[in-house]
Amino acid sequence: MKQGIRAEWYFLLGGLLLFGGAFLATQFLNRYLLYILVLMGIYSIATVSLNLTNGYAGLFSLGHAAFMAIGAYTSTLLTFPLALREAYELPMLPAFLGGPNFVWPFFPAICMGGVLASVAALLIGAPVLRLRGHYLSVASLGFVVIVTTLAKTMKGLTRGPMGISAIPSYTNIYWTYLWLLITVYVIWRIVNSRFGRAMMALREDETAAQVLGVYPMKYKLMSFVVGAFFAGVAGGLYAHFTKAIRPFEFSFFLTFQIVVMLILGGMGTTAGPIVGAVSLLTLRYALKPLEEHLKIYGLIEIIYAVLLIVVMLFKPEGLVGQKRGVKKITVGGKSSA
Amino acid sequence: MLKVENLTVKYGVIPAVMNVSLTVGRGQIVAILGANGAGKTTTLKAIMGVLRPASGQISYQGEDITHMSPSNRVRKGIALVPEGRGIFNRLTVEENLLLGAYSRSGNDVIMKDLKEVYALFPRLEERKKQIAGTLSGGEQQMLALGRGLMSKPQLLLLDEPSLGLAPLVVRELYATISRIREQGVTILLVEQSAAVALGASDYAYVLESGSLKLSGKPEELKSLEDVKRVYLGG
Amino acid sequence: MFSWSYFLQQTMNGVILGCIYALLALGMTVVYGILRLINFAHGALITVGAFFVYFIFFRAGINLAASLLLVLGFGGLMGLLLDVIAYRKLRGGPEVALLITSLGFYTFVENFMKMVVSPQPYSFKTPAYLAVMYKTSLLTFRSIDVFIIVSSLLIMFIFNLFVKKTRMGIAMRATAENLEVAHLMGIEVNRVIALAFALGSAIAAFTGFLWGAKYGQIAYDMGFLTGVKAFVAVVVGGVGSIPGAMVGGFVLGLAEILSIAFLPTRFAEYRDGIVFGILILVLLLRPSGLMGVKEEVRV
Ligand SMILES: Nc1ncnc2c1ncn2[C@@H]1O[C@H](COP(=O)(O)OP(=O)(O)OP(=O)(O)O)[C@@H](O)[C@H]1O
Ligand SMILES: [Mg+2]
Repeated sequence: MKQGIRAEWYFLLGGLLLFGGAFLATQFLNRYLLYILVLMGIYSIATVSLNLTNGYAGLFSLGHAAFMAIGAYTSTLLTFPLALREAYELPMLPAFLGGPNFVWPFFPAICMGGVLASVAALLIGAPVLRLRGHYLSVASLGFVVIVTTLAKTMKGLTRGPMGISAIPSYTNIYWTYLWLLITVYVIWRIVNSRFGRAMMALREDETAAQVLGVYPMKYKLMSFVVGAFFAGVAGGLYAHFTKAIRPFEFSFFLTFQIVVMLILGGMGTTAGPIVGAVSLLTLRYALKPLEEHLKIYGLIEIIYAVLLIVVMLFKPEGLVGQKRGVKKITVGGKSSA
Repeated sequence: MLKVENLTVKYGVIPAVMNVSLTVGRGQIVAILGANGAGKTTTLKAIMGVLRPASGQISYQGEDITHMSPSNRVRKGIALVPEGRGIFNRLTVEENLLLGAYSRSGNDVIMKDLKEVYALFPRLEERKKQIAGTLSGGEQQMLALGRGLMSKPQLLLLDEPSLGLAPLVVRELYATISRIREQGVTILLVEQSAAVALGASDYAYVLESGSLKLSGKPEELKSLEDVKRVYLGG
Repeated sequence: MFSWSYFLQQTMNGVILGCIYALLALGMTVVYGILRLINFAHGALITVGAFFVYFIFFRAGINLAASLLLVLGFGGLMGLLLDVIAYRKLRGGPEVALLITSLGFYTFVENFMKMVVSPQPYSFKTPAYLAVMYKTSLLTFRSIDVFIIVSSLLIMFIFNLFVKKTRMGIAMRATAENLEVAHLMGIEVNRVIALAFALGSAIAAFTGFLWGAKYGQIAYDMGFLTGVKAFVAVVVGGVGSIPGAMVGGFVLGLAEILSIAFLPTRFAEYRDGIVFGILILVLLLRPSGLMGVKEEVRV
C-alpha cells in the first residue's frame, strides 16, 4: 500500500492548492467569473460521477438529470427556512426526514440528497441492470421523464412547475471544491481497487469476466448507485447556488450536457470529465454574448451536438483519453486486422 | 484451385495465424487439422474474406483475391459453412437455404438447385417451413451444408462439420461430403478429430499455434508418431 | 360512470396513437436488431417530416398525394445520409458509440429546427376533405382518423410483405439475427443496413405528417418524447421482433390514452410518466417483451 499512501498525499496537496486557488479567486475575481468557477465545479462533480457509470463500468445511463433533481429538491426542502415554509405552502416533510419543524444544516442535507438519489438508482437499477444491451439508457431516460413529471405535479412538495425560490444560498466556492475533491477521491479509490478492476474487466468483456467469477450485477449496480449519489450532491449544490429550482431545468438537456462534457474530456479517464466540464462551460460563457447579440437561441446546443458528433467520429477517446485497442468486428469487408 | 501463400492474420496485435501456405487442387478434399486455438477457423475466415490478412496472398483459380470482398468471393464460387453451423435460428429452413443463394440471380436455376439440395437431404424438404432453431443438431448440420451448396460453390470450406454429432451421423455426413465432391466441388475442411478427416481426404495440413507443423498424404501422416499421439489418441 | 360511446371514442384515439407508435417502432426495431442501436435520431425524422410537409404542402401548395410521396423520399434520403456519413464509420467499434452519436444527431436537429422555424409551435391545419366529421350514435370521427388508420395498416402490411417475401427482406432479418454469418452468405451487410435506415426514416417522416394532421400542432421538439416512446413500444413488444414492434405500439398507444381517459382528470399530467412506468414494469416482469425471443448473448 506504499503507493496508495503516496497518492493520498497528492490528493491532500492538490486539495490545499485548490483551496489556496479558491481563496485567491475570491480575492481577485469579479462575481461573474466566480459564478462561472463554481458552476464549473458543480458540473465537474456531475461529470466525474457520470464517468464512474458510463466510463468505467461501461453502462450508459442517461438519468443524471433525475438524480440531480432528487438531490436538489431533497436538500432544498431540508434546509428551507421554517418561516418561509408556511408562506410557500410548502411541505409537511415526512418525519424520517426531520418533520415539518426541523431545518437541517447544509452538509447533512446535501448528503441526504445524495442518499435519496442513490436509493432511486437502486430501485431503477435492480430490474434494469439484469438485462443486457442498452435498456439502461432508455429506462434511465424514462426515469428523467418520471421525475420531472412528479416535480411538476407534487405541488405540496415542489410547488409544481413554478418551482421553489428563495433557497438559502449556502453553496460557495469552498463547499463546491471540497465536494469535488471528495468525489474525485472516492471514485479514484473505487477505480483503483480490486472492485474497480473487476468492473473494468466487465466493461471489456462481460462473458469472459463472468467466467473469471465476476458477478456482473453487483458491480454494475454499485457503480450506478455511487454515481447517482454524487449526482445528487451536485444537484444539491446547484440548488443552493442558483437559489431557485424549477422542474424543467432537470430535463434531458441537462443530462445531454453532462454526457457531452464526459465524451469530450474522455470517458474512463481521471482528468477527462473535469477537462470536459471546464472547457464546455468556458465555451458556453465565451459564446453567450454572441448568442444574445445575434438572438440565435439554440446556437450553443447546436455547437454541443456538433462537437459530440465530431469527437465520436474522429477522436472517440476524447481530449485526454488514450486510444484503446478496441476489438473490432468486421463489417462490410472493412477489417481491423 | 486455391493457393494460400505466407498468410498471417492478426486480431489486434496478436497473430492467430503466421506464415501459413497451402494449396488445394481441383476436385480434392483437403483437411486442416489442429488443436483448439490452432488458427483453423481464422484461416478459413481469411480465405472467405471476412478477416483481412496482415500479410500474405490468397489466389483462387489463378486470380489474386486477397483484397476481394466476401460477397464477391461468394459470387466467384467460394462458400463457407461456419463452425457451429451459423444457422439463422429464427428463419425457416427454406429461407435459410434461399439465403445461401443470395448472391446469385435467376429464379429458375435457384429453384432447380433447391430441388437438388432437397434430393440430397430429404429431411430438409419435409421440414422446409419449420423454424430452423427447432431442428435437431444433425438436421442443422444438413441445413448448413445445404445452404452452403445453394451458392453453387466450386470451393466449399467446412469448419468442423462433425462437431457435436454422434458417430453414426458423422459417418453419414462424410458420405454426403464425398458425394458432393463427386459432383465436382472442391472441399477444404477443418477438423479436430483427425481420424474421420484423414479417412476422407486426399491431403492434409496440421496447424499448431498458428503455424504449419506438418503436411502430407493421409497415409503418411497417420504413420507419423506425433500425429498418432496428439490427434489420433494412439 | 362508464359509457360505451366514451370508451369507443377513447379506444379509437388509442388505436390512432398506437398506429403512430407502431410505425415508428418498425424502423427502430429493425435498426436495433441489426446494430443494437437505440436510434434517437429516429425521433428527429418525425419533426423534420412534419415541417417538410408543412412547408411544401401548406406553404408551397404542392398537392397532398405528391407531398406525401415527397416526404417519404425525403425521409428515406435523410436516413441514408445519416448512415453513410456517420453510423457506417462507427460500426465495429463499441456499440455505445452509435448511441452517443445518435443523441448528438437528435440534439443537432432539434436545435437546428428551433433556430430555423422558431421555438413557437406551428398550427397544422388539415385540408377540409381530411377534416370531415362523421357522427354515429357510438362514435364521432373525422376523415383524417380513417386516413391515419388505413394508411398505417397499409404501410405495416407492405413492410411485412417486404420482410417476409423479398430477397432483401429475408436478408434483413438474417442480418439482424447474425451479422457475421449474413456476411458469409454474400449479403452486402452495409447495403442492408442502409436500406433499413432509409425505410425506417421514410416511415418516420411520414408519421410526422400523421401526427400534425391528427393533433393540429407541430413544434421543433415534437420528436423527442414521441421517438423515445416508440422505443418503449419496441421494448414492450419484444426487442428485435417486427410483429412485436407493432403490437407494442398499439399496446402503448391504448394504455396511454385509456389510462388518462379513465383516471381522474388530475392524472392527465402524469401521461408521460405512465408510459415510462409501463416500461419499467415490462422490464421488471417480462424483459423479453410480449412477443420477443430472449436476447441472445452477443460475444
Ligand atoms: N475475434 C477474436 N479476437 C481475438 N482473438 C481471437 C478471435 N478469434 C479467435 N481468436 C484467437 O485466435 C486464435 C486462433 O483461433 P481460431 O478460432 O482460429 O482457432 P481454431 O483452430 O479454429 O480453434 P477451435 O478448434 O477451438 O475452433 C486463438 O488463440 C483465439 O483465441
Ligand atoms: Mg475453430
